[in-house]
Amino acid sequence: MARKHTKVSRRMLFTWFMLTGIIFLFAPQNLTDKFQLAFVHVFRWPLSIGGNLALTARTQQPLTGTVGRSEIKNRNYIATLEETLDREREKFKKLYGLYNTYVWEGTNFVLADVITATVEGTRNELTVACRKTNGLARGQFVLGDNSIVGTVSDVSSRTASVKLFTDPTSRIAVKIGKLDIKKWMQGNGNNTAKIPLVSIEHEIKKGDNVFARKNAGFLDAPVIVGRVAQLKRDDKDPLFWDITVEPACDIEQLEDVAIIIMNPQK
Amino acid sequence: MRWLRFALLILAVTVIQKGLLSRWSSKPDLLIILLVFFAIYYNTSEAIISSFTIGFAADLVGSPMPMGPHIISFGLFGTLLAYLNRVMAIKRMPYQALAIFATSVLAGLLSHLLAYITGEPIAGNIYAVVFVTALYSSVVGPFLFLPVAWWMRIKTNRFGRRY
Repeated sequence: MARKHTKVSRRMLFTWFMLTGIIFLFAPQNLTDKFQLAFVHVFRWPLSIGGNLALTARTQQPLTGTVGRSEIKNRNYIATLEETLDREREKFKKLYGLYNTYVWEGTNFVLADVITATVEGTRNELTVACRKTNGLARGQFVLGDNSIVGTVSDVSSRTASVKLFTDPTSRIAVKIGKLDIKKWMQGNGNNTAKIPLVSIEHEIKKGDNVFARKNAGFLDAPVIVGRVAQLKRDDKDPLFWDITVEPACDIEQLEDVAIIIMNPQK
Repeated sequence: MRWLRFALLILAVTVIQKGLLSRWSSKPDLLIILLVFFAIYYNTSEAIISSFTIGFAADLVGSPMPMGPHIISFGLFGTLLAYLNRVMAIKRMPYQALAIFATSVLAGLLSHLLAYITGEPIAGNIYAVVFVTALYSSVVGPFLFLPVAWWMRIKTNRFGRRY
Protein backbone atom coordinates (compact mmCIF):
# COMPACT_ATOMS: atom_id res chain seq x y z
CA MET A 1 0.00 0.00 0.00
CA ALA A 2 1.36 3.34 -0.95
CA ARG A 3 2.33 5.54 2.01
CA LYS A 4 0.40 8.76 2.21
CA HIS A 5 2.67 11.79 2.37
CA THR A 6 1.42 14.95 3.98
CA LYS A 7 3.30 18.00 2.82
CA VAL A 8 3.64 20.75 5.36
CA SER A 9 4.79 24.13 4.21
CA ARG A 10 7.85 25.70 5.78
CA ARG A 11 5.76 28.60 7.03
CA MET A 12 3.35 26.23 8.84
CA LEU A 13 6.25 24.27 10.27
CA PHE A 14 7.83 27.43 11.64
CA THR A 15 4.53 28.67 13.07
CA TRP A 16 3.79 25.39 14.85
CA PHE A 17 7.21 25.17 16.42
CA MET A 18 7.17 28.84 17.43
CA LEU A 19 3.75 28.33 19.04
CA THR A 20 5.16 25.34 20.96
CA GLY A 21 8.01 27.52 22.21
CA ILE A 22 5.61 30.26 23.32
CA ILE A 23 3.42 27.71 25.14
CA PHE A 24 6.50 26.40 26.97
CA LEU A 25 7.60 29.95 27.78
CA PHE A 26 4.34 31.02 29.37
CA ALA A 27 3.38 27.68 30.94
CA PRO A 28 3.73 27.58 34.76
CA GLN A 29 7.43 27.21 35.55
CA ASN A 30 6.90 24.58 38.23
CA LEU A 31 5.39 22.43 35.46
CA THR A 32 8.10 22.97 32.83
CA ASP A 33 10.89 22.62 35.42
CA LYS A 34 9.87 18.98 35.69
CA PHE A 35 11.16 18.39 32.13
CA GLN A 36 14.61 19.74 33.08
CA LEU A 37 14.82 17.74 36.30
CA ALA A 38 13.49 14.61 34.57
CA PHE A 39 16.22 14.90 31.91
CA VAL A 40 18.92 15.17 34.57
CA HIS A 41 17.36 12.29 36.51
CA VAL A 42 17.18 9.99 33.46
CA PHE A 43 20.72 10.79 32.30
CA ARG A 44 22.25 11.19 35.79
CA TRP A 45 24.76 8.40 35.17
CA PRO A 46 26.44 9.80 32.00
CA LEU A 47 26.08 13.34 33.39
CA SER A 48 27.93 12.50 36.61
CA ILE A 49 30.59 10.59 34.67
CA GLY A 50 31.09 13.65 32.48
CA GLY A 51 31.35 15.84 35.57
CA ASN A 52 33.88 13.50 37.19
CA LEU A 53 35.95 13.45 33.99
CA ALA A 54 35.98 17.23 33.94
CA LEU A 55 37.02 17.30 37.58
CA THR A 56 39.82 14.80 36.99
CA ALA A 57 41.07 16.83 34.05
CA ARG A 58 41.02 20.04 36.05
CA THR A 59 42.39 18.73 39.35
CA GLN A 60 45.99 19.81 39.84
CA GLN A 61 48.54 17.98 41.93
CA PRO A 62 48.49 19.41 45.45
CA LEU A 63 51.46 21.65 46.15
CA THR A 64 53.38 21.55 49.39
CA GLY A 65 51.76 23.91 51.83
CA THR A 66 48.38 24.05 50.12
CA VAL A 67 45.36 23.39 52.26
CA GLY A 68 43.74 19.99 51.72
CA ARG A 69 40.01 19.53 51.26
CA SER A 70 39.50 17.73 54.57
CA GLU A 71 41.37 20.51 56.33
CA ILE A 72 39.08 23.11 54.70
CA LYS A 73 36.11 21.01 55.79
CA ASN A 74 37.37 20.90 59.37
CA ARG A 75 38.24 24.59 59.33
CA ASN A 76 34.70 25.45 58.18
CA TYR A 77 33.26 23.21 60.87
CA ILE A 78 35.42 24.88 63.53
CA ALA A 79 34.52 28.38 62.28
CA THR A 80 30.81 27.58 62.48
CA LEU A 81 31.25 26.01 65.90
CA GLU A 82 33.21 29.00 67.16
CA GLU A 83 30.53 31.35 65.89
CA THR A 84 27.88 29.20 67.50
CA LEU A 85 29.86 29.09 70.70
CA ASP A 86 30.19 32.88 70.77
CA ARG A 87 26.50 33.24 70.14
CA GLU A 88 25.70 30.68 72.76
CA ARG A 89 27.98 32.38 75.29
CA GLU A 90 26.15 35.67 74.76
CA LYS A 91 22.85 33.92 75.08
CA PHE A 92 24.10 32.17 78.18
CA LYS A 93 25.10 35.45 79.69
CA LYS A 94 21.70 36.92 78.90
CA LEU A 95 19.64 34.06 80.12
CA TYR A 96 21.91 33.10 83.00
CA GLY A 97 22.48 29.69 81.64
CA LEU A 98 18.86 28.68 81.39
CA TYR A 99 19.47 26.87 78.18
CA ASN A 100 22.25 26.06 75.80
CA THR A 101 21.34 24.89 72.30
CA TYR A 102 23.60 23.19 69.86
CA VAL A 103 23.39 24.64 66.32
CA TRP A 104 21.88 21.63 64.63
CA GLU A 105 19.63 20.43 67.42
CA GLY A 106 16.26 19.34 66.04
CA THR A 107 17.49 19.64 62.46
CA ASN A 108 17.14 17.05 59.73
CA PHE A 109 19.57 16.68 56.87
CA VAL A 110 18.84 15.21 53.47
CA LEU A 111 21.99 13.93 51.86
CA ALA A 112 22.22 14.39 48.10
CA ASP A 113 24.78 13.41 45.48
CA VAL A 114 25.92 16.11 43.05
CA ILE A 115 24.98 15.15 39.49
CA THR A 116 26.01 18.32 37.68
CA ALA A 117 27.69 21.49 38.87
CA THR A 118 27.69 24.79 36.98
CA VAL A 119 29.95 27.09 38.96
CA GLU A 120 30.62 29.91 36.53
CA GLY A 121 28.70 31.79 33.87
CA THR A 122 25.34 33.52 33.92
CA ARG A 123 23.80 30.93 36.24
CA ASN A 124 25.49 28.91 38.98
CA GLU A 125 23.70 25.84 40.24
CA LEU A 126 24.04 22.25 41.34
CA THR A 127 21.68 19.51 40.31
CA VAL A 128 21.56 16.90 43.03
CA ALA A 129 20.06 13.44 43.42
CA CYS A 130 18.38 13.18 46.82
CA ARG A 131 18.18 9.93 48.72
CA LYS A 132 14.80 11.08 50.06
CA THR A 133 12.74 14.15 49.22
CA ASN A 134 10.41 14.24 52.22
CA GLY A 135 10.26 17.74 53.63
CA LEU A 136 12.30 19.36 50.86
CA ALA A 137 11.16 22.83 49.82
CA ARG A 138 12.42 25.87 47.97
CA GLY A 139 14.61 28.22 49.99
CA GLN A 140 16.16 25.58 52.25
CA PHE A 141 19.86 26.05 52.85
CA VAL A 142 22.36 23.55 51.50
CA LEU A 143 25.59 22.55 53.21
CA GLY A 144 28.71 21.47 51.37
CA ASP A 145 31.84 20.59 53.36
CA ASN A 146 30.20 22.10 56.47
CA SER A 147 29.58 25.48 54.86
CA ILE A 148 26.51 26.97 53.18
CA VAL A 149 26.80 26.72 49.39
CA GLY A 150 23.34 27.85 48.33
CA THR A 151 19.61 27.32 48.61
CA VAL A 152 17.18 24.84 47.07
CA SER A 153 15.59 26.41 43.99
CA ASP A 154 13.54 23.50 42.70
CA VAL A 155 12.49 20.04 43.81
CA SER A 156 11.11 17.06 41.95
CA SER A 157 10.96 13.37 42.72
CA ARG A 158 14.52 12.41 43.81
CA THR A 159 16.16 15.39 42.08
CA ALA A 160 16.63 18.98 43.20
CA SER A 161 18.30 22.15 41.92
CA VAL A 162 20.47 24.22 44.22
CA LYS A 163 21.05 27.87 43.41
CA LEU A 164 24.60 28.63 44.55
CA PHE A 165 25.20 31.82 46.55
CA THR A 166 27.64 32.82 43.79
CA ASP A 167 24.78 32.88 41.24
CA PRO A 168 24.28 36.46 39.99
CA THR A 169 20.59 36.30 40.92
CA SER A 170 21.20 35.01 44.45
CA ARG A 171 20.85 37.25 47.54
CA ILE A 172 21.62 35.97 51.02
CA ALA A 173 21.54 37.88 54.32
CA VAL A 174 24.99 37.70 55.87
CA LYS A 175 27.16 39.01 58.69
CA ILE A 176 30.90 39.57 58.42
CA GLY A 177 33.17 38.24 61.14
CA LYS A 178 32.31 39.63 64.57
CA LEU A 179 30.45 42.63 63.18
CA ASP A 180 26.79 42.52 64.00
CA ILE A 181 25.51 44.28 60.90
CA LYS A 182 22.99 42.74 58.53
CA LYS A 183 24.11 42.94 54.93
CA TRP A 184 23.04 41.28 51.70
CA MET A 185 25.48 39.22 49.71
CA GLN A 186 24.95 39.13 45.94
CA GLY A 187 26.47 36.51 43.65
CA ASN A 188 29.00 37.57 41.01
CA GLY A 189 28.81 34.58 38.70
CA ASN A 190 32.56 33.89 38.69
CA ASN A 191 32.57 31.68 41.80
CA THR A 192 32.60 34.75 44.03
CA ALA A 193 30.05 37.07 45.60
CA LYS A 194 29.96 40.74 46.62
CA ILE A 195 28.74 42.44 49.78
CA PRO A 196 27.85 46.00 48.80
CA LEU A 197 27.13 49.05 50.97
CA VAL A 198 29.41 48.25 53.91
CA SER A 199 30.76 51.47 55.38
CA ILE A 200 34.56 51.81 55.67
CA GLU A 201 34.00 52.66 59.34
CA HIS A 202 33.62 48.94 59.97
CA GLU A 203 36.84 47.07 60.62
CA ILE A 204 37.02 44.27 58.11
CA LYS A 205 40.09 42.42 56.97
CA LYS A 206 40.94 39.92 54.28
CA GLY A 207 40.24 36.37 55.41
CA ASP A 208 37.35 37.32 57.73
CA ASN A 209 34.63 34.69 57.84
CA VAL A 210 31.26 35.53 56.34
CA PHE A 211 28.21 33.86 57.89
CA ALA A 212 24.72 33.29 56.52
CA ARG A 213 22.41 34.93 59.06
CA LYS A 214 19.73 33.02 60.84
CA ASN A 215 16.54 32.89 58.84
CA ALA A 216 13.34 31.85 60.59
CA GLY A 217 12.23 28.41 59.43
CA PHE A 218 15.34 27.84 57.34
CA LEU A 219 18.41 28.43 59.52
CA ASP A 220 18.43 28.68 63.30
CA ALA A 221 21.99 29.94 63.69
CA PRO A 222 24.65 31.69 61.58
CA VAL A 223 26.65 29.25 59.50
CA ILE A 224 29.83 30.00 57.57
CA VAL A 225 29.29 30.69 53.89
CA GLY A 226 32.60 32.14 52.72
CA ARG A 227 35.62 34.27 53.44
CA VAL A 228 36.60 37.80 52.46
CA ALA A 229 38.91 37.27 49.51
CA GLN A 230 39.40 40.85 48.42
CA LEU A 231 38.88 44.11 50.24
CA LYS A 232 39.28 47.59 48.78
CA ARG A 233 37.52 50.91 48.71
CA ASP A 234 34.65 51.09 46.28
CA ASP A 235 35.73 52.90 43.12
CA LYS A 236 32.31 54.53 42.71
CA ASP A 237 31.80 55.48 46.34
CA PRO A 238 35.00 55.54 48.47
CA LEU A 239 32.91 55.68 51.67
CA PHE A 240 32.03 52.02 51.19
CA TRP A 241 34.07 48.83 51.03
CA ASP A 242 34.16 46.74 47.87
CA ILE A 243 34.09 43.26 49.44
CA THR A 244 34.58 40.11 47.39
CA VAL A 245 33.70 36.84 49.10
CA GLU A 246 34.92 33.43 48.00
CA PRO A 247 33.16 30.19 49.00
CA ALA A 248 34.39 28.51 52.18
CA CYS A 249 34.73 25.25 50.27
CA ASP A 250 35.68 24.22 46.77
CA ILE A 251 32.21 23.92 45.25
CA GLU A 252 33.55 22.35 42.05
CA GLN A 253 34.98 19.45 44.05
CA LEU A 254 31.78 18.69 45.95
CA GLU A 255 30.52 15.18 45.48
CA ASP A 256 27.64 15.38 47.94
CA VAL A 257 25.77 18.03 49.87
CA ALA A 258 23.32 18.10 52.77
CA ILE A 259 20.02 19.98 52.62
CA ILE A 260 19.06 21.51 55.97
CA ILE A 261 15.48 20.92 57.09
CA MET A 262 14.71 22.96 60.18
CA ASN A 263 12.00 21.83 62.55
CA PRO A 264 11.14 18.67 60.61
CA GLN A 265 7.68 17.19 61.01
CA LYS A 266 7.78 14.12 63.21
CA MET B 1 18.24 13.72 6.85
CA ARG B 2 18.99 10.62 8.91
CA TRP B 3 16.74 11.40 11.84
CA LEU B 4 17.87 8.56 14.12
CA ARG B 5 21.49 9.67 13.80
CA PHE B 6 20.35 13.26 14.35
CA ALA B 7 18.50 12.29 17.58
CA LEU B 8 21.48 10.34 18.93
CA LEU B 9 23.84 13.19 18.10
CA ILE B 10 21.69 15.80 19.84
CA LEU B 11 21.28 13.57 22.88
CA ALA B 12 25.02 12.93 23.17
CA VAL B 13 25.92 16.59 22.71
CA THR B 14 23.28 17.70 25.23
CA VAL B 15 24.68 15.28 27.84
CA ILE B 16 28.25 16.46 27.12
CA GLN B 17 27.19 20.11 27.38
CA LYS B 18 25.47 19.59 30.73
CA GLY B 19 27.84 17.04 32.24
CA LEU B 20 31.37 17.45 30.95
CA LEU B 21 31.40 21.14 30.00
CA SER B 22 29.28 22.58 32.80
CA ARG B 23 32.25 22.64 35.21
CA TRP B 24 34.35 24.71 32.78
CA SER B 25 34.21 28.45 33.33
CA SER B 26 34.55 29.39 29.64
CA LYS B 27 33.19 26.88 27.19
CA PRO B 28 31.82 26.65 23.66
CA ASP B 29 28.11 26.11 23.14
CA LEU B 30 28.07 22.82 21.24
CA LEU B 31 24.33 23.06 20.55
CA ILE B 32 24.75 26.40 18.75
CA ILE B 33 27.52 24.84 16.65
CA LEU B 34 25.14 22.02 15.66
CA LEU B 35 22.41 24.55 14.92
CA VAL B 36 24.64 26.37 12.44
CA PHE B 37 25.80 23.07 10.93
CA PHE B 38 22.25 21.90 10.18
CA ALA B 39 21.24 25.36 8.93
CA ILE B 40 24.16 25.36 6.49
CA TYR B 41 24.23 21.77 5.22
CA TYR B 42 20.54 20.80 5.07
CA ASN B 43 17.50 22.08 3.23
CA THR B 44 15.35 24.77 4.81
CA SER B 45 12.57 22.48 6.15
CA GLU B 46 15.09 20.18 7.81
CA ALA B 47 16.96 23.21 9.17
CA ILE B 48 13.75 24.57 10.74
CA ILE B 49 12.94 21.23 12.43
CA SER B 50 16.51 20.73 13.65
CA SER B 51 16.77 24.33 14.95
CA PHE B 52 13.67 24.01 17.12
CA THR B 53 14.72 20.53 18.30
CA ILE B 54 18.17 21.79 19.29
CA GLY B 55 16.47 24.72 21.04
CA PHE B 56 14.36 22.24 23.01
CA ALA B 57 17.53 20.33 23.99
CA ALA B 58 19.17 23.61 25.07
CA ASP B 59 16.13 24.39 27.24
CA LEU B 60 16.34 20.96 28.87
CA VAL B 61 19.85 21.74 30.11
CA GLY B 62 19.27 25.48 30.51
CA SER B 63 18.15 25.25 34.15
CA PRO B 64 17.54 27.43 36.16
CA MET B 65 16.23 29.36 33.16
CA PRO B 66 12.64 28.35 32.34
CA MET B 67 11.72 26.21 29.32
CA GLY B 68 10.89 28.12 26.13
CA PRO B 69 13.47 30.89 25.55
CA HIS B 70 15.94 28.63 23.74
CA ILE B 71 13.26 26.94 21.60
CA ILE B 72 12.17 30.36 20.34
CA SER B 73 15.60 31.98 19.93
CA PHE B 74 17.33 28.93 18.41
CA GLY B 75 14.34 28.26 16.13
CA LEU B 76 14.18 31.87 14.98
CA PHE B 77 17.88 32.38 14.27
CA GLY B 78 18.35 28.85 12.87
CA THR B 79 15.55 29.50 10.38
CA LEU B 80 16.93 32.92 9.49
CA LEU B 81 20.39 31.42 8.95
CA ALA B 82 18.96 28.67 6.72
CA TYR B 83 17.25 31.29 4.54
CA LEU B 84 20.41 33.42 4.53
CA ASN B 85 22.39 30.39 3.40
CA ARG B 86 20.08 30.05 0.39
CA VAL B 87 20.92 33.58 -0.68
CA MET B 88 24.59 33.60 0.26
CA ALA B 89 26.20 30.17 0.74
CA ILE B 90 28.31 30.03 3.89
CA LYS B 91 31.12 27.91 2.46
CA ARG B 92 34.43 28.84 3.95
CA MET B 93 35.58 28.26 7.51
CA PRO B 94 35.98 31.96 8.44
CA TYR B 95 32.42 32.65 7.29
CA GLN B 96 31.18 29.62 9.22
CA ALA B 97 32.98 30.91 12.32
CA LEU B 98 31.39 34.31 11.80
CA ALA B 99 27.95 32.70 11.40
CA ILE B 100 28.44 30.75 14.64
CA PHE B 101 29.58 33.88 16.48
CA ALA B 102 26.66 36.01 15.28
CA THR B 103 24.06 33.27 15.90
CA SER B 104 25.47 32.55 19.35
CA VAL B 105 25.40 36.22 20.40
CA LEU B 106 21.91 36.88 19.01
CA ALA B 107 20.35 33.64 20.28
CA GLY B 108 22.04 34.06 23.68
CA LEU B 109 20.81 37.61 24.15
CA LEU B 110 17.29 36.83 22.93
CA SER B 111 16.93 33.80 25.19
CA HIS B 112 17.98 35.85 28.24
CA LEU B 113 15.60 38.62 27.21
CA LEU B 114 12.71 36.15 26.86
CA ALA B 115 13.53 34.63 30.25
CA TYR B 116 13.54 38.15 31.70
CA ILE B 117 10.08 38.80 30.24
CA THR B 118 8.74 35.79 32.14
CA GLY B 119 10.09 37.20 35.40
CA GLU B 120 13.45 35.43 35.57
CA PRO B 121 16.11 37.77 37.04
CA ILE B 122 18.85 38.74 34.63
CA ALA B 123 22.50 38.12 35.56
CA GLY B 124 24.88 41.06 35.73
CA ASN B 125 27.62 39.34 33.73
CA ILE B 126 25.36 38.26 30.87
CA TYR B 127 27.12 40.28 28.13
CA ALA B 128 30.58 38.99 29.07
CA VAL B 129 29.39 35.37 29.27
CA VAL B 130 27.46 35.53 25.98
CA PHE B 131 30.43 37.13 24.22
CA VAL B 132 33.02 34.66 25.57
CA THR B 133 30.78 31.66 24.77
CA ALA B 134 30.23 32.97 21.23
CA LEU B 135 33.96 33.48 20.77
CA TYR B 136 34.82 29.97 21.95
CA SER B 137 32.06 28.45 19.82
CA SER B 138 33.20 30.29 16.70
CA VAL B 139 36.80 29.11 17.19
CA VAL B 140 35.91 25.46 17.87
CA GLY B 141 32.80 25.17 15.69
CA PRO B 142 34.15 24.93 12.12
CA PHE B 143 36.52 22.13 13.21
CA LEU B 144 33.65 20.18 14.76
CA PHE B 145 31.73 20.31 11.47
CA LEU B 146 33.95 17.52 10.06
CA PRO B 147 33.17 14.82 12.67
CA VAL B 148 29.50 15.86 12.67
CA ALA B 149 29.37 15.56 8.88
CA TRP B 150 30.98 12.13 9.13
CA TRP B 151 28.42 11.02 11.72
CA MET B 152 25.52 12.35 9.67
CA ARG B 153 26.97 10.60 6.58
CA ILE B 154 27.07 13.71 4.44
CA LYS B 155 29.87 14.87 2.24
CA THR B 156 30.80 18.44 2.74
CA ASN B 157 32.96 20.56 0.58
CA ARG B 158 34.57 23.38 2.48
CA PHE B 159 34.66 25.35 -0.77
CA GLY B 160 31.18 24.50 -1.97
CA ARG B 161 27.74 23.29 -1.00
CA ARG B 162 26.75 19.80 0.06
CA TYR B 163 26.80 17.33 -2.81
